[in-house]
Amino acid sequence: MKNIKVLFFGKLKEIWENNHLNLKTESSNIEELYSELLKSASSEPFKSSIKVARNDEFCDWSTTIEDGDEVAFLPPASGG
Amino acid sequence: MFRLSENPINDNDLKKLTLDDECGGFVCFEGWVRNHNQGKSVLKLAYEAYPKLAEKEGNQIIEEAFEKFAIKKALCTHRIGTLAIGDMAVWVGVSAAHRDAAFKACRYILDEVKSRVPIWKNEHWTDGESGWVEQE
Repeated sequence: MKNIKVLFFGKLKEIWENNHLNLKTESSNIEELYSELLKSASSEPFKSSIKVARNDEFCDWSTTIEDGDEVAFLPPASGG
Repeated sequence: MFRLSENPINDNDLKKLTLDDECGGFVCFEGWVRNHNQGKSVLKLAYEAYPKLAEKEGNQIIEEAFEKFAIKKALCTHRIGTLAIGDMAVWVGVSAAHRDAAFKACRYILDEVKSRVPIWKNEHWTDGESGWVEQE
């Protein structure tokens, strides 16, 4: 089991009703972690618009996660 | 350099930092909070960022601008937190020897910041409701 901190931003905070979660998981990559997280989502977000980051770096959905990682799910940017 | 700011943007200070004796052109863009969006009357905006990644991505965009255009200096500051109508939300300034590079680099930095830097805008409308703004 890995301990992972998950961060949600923007409208994803509302979908998960939280800005972060600390969880224990057996998911091996971000894709699997996301599928696991969907079970606790209040609605299903538009996945293809979400970017993911691991330990403050953008990464792919297939990126492996390790114990102690911080994984962020980012909706499309709307700054400016 | 790109940075996030929780405090009002001091455009005079930023301009002084961007001007350069070797440059004949200075181009600046200021983004201001307006009182309406997509048919709704806006009361205020709340900007949220993923700070570490936002500063990293913002600085990457400025590096790209230096690679693409013949510019001498480039700065961008983006506000976070709650902003009222008439507050400045983003400032981009570029100095270059000649105007063409300065105009193009300023546009490039602004467009890339809006689409790539993890910053999100929550609009609060005068009807009491609020909502996250989708990418334009």
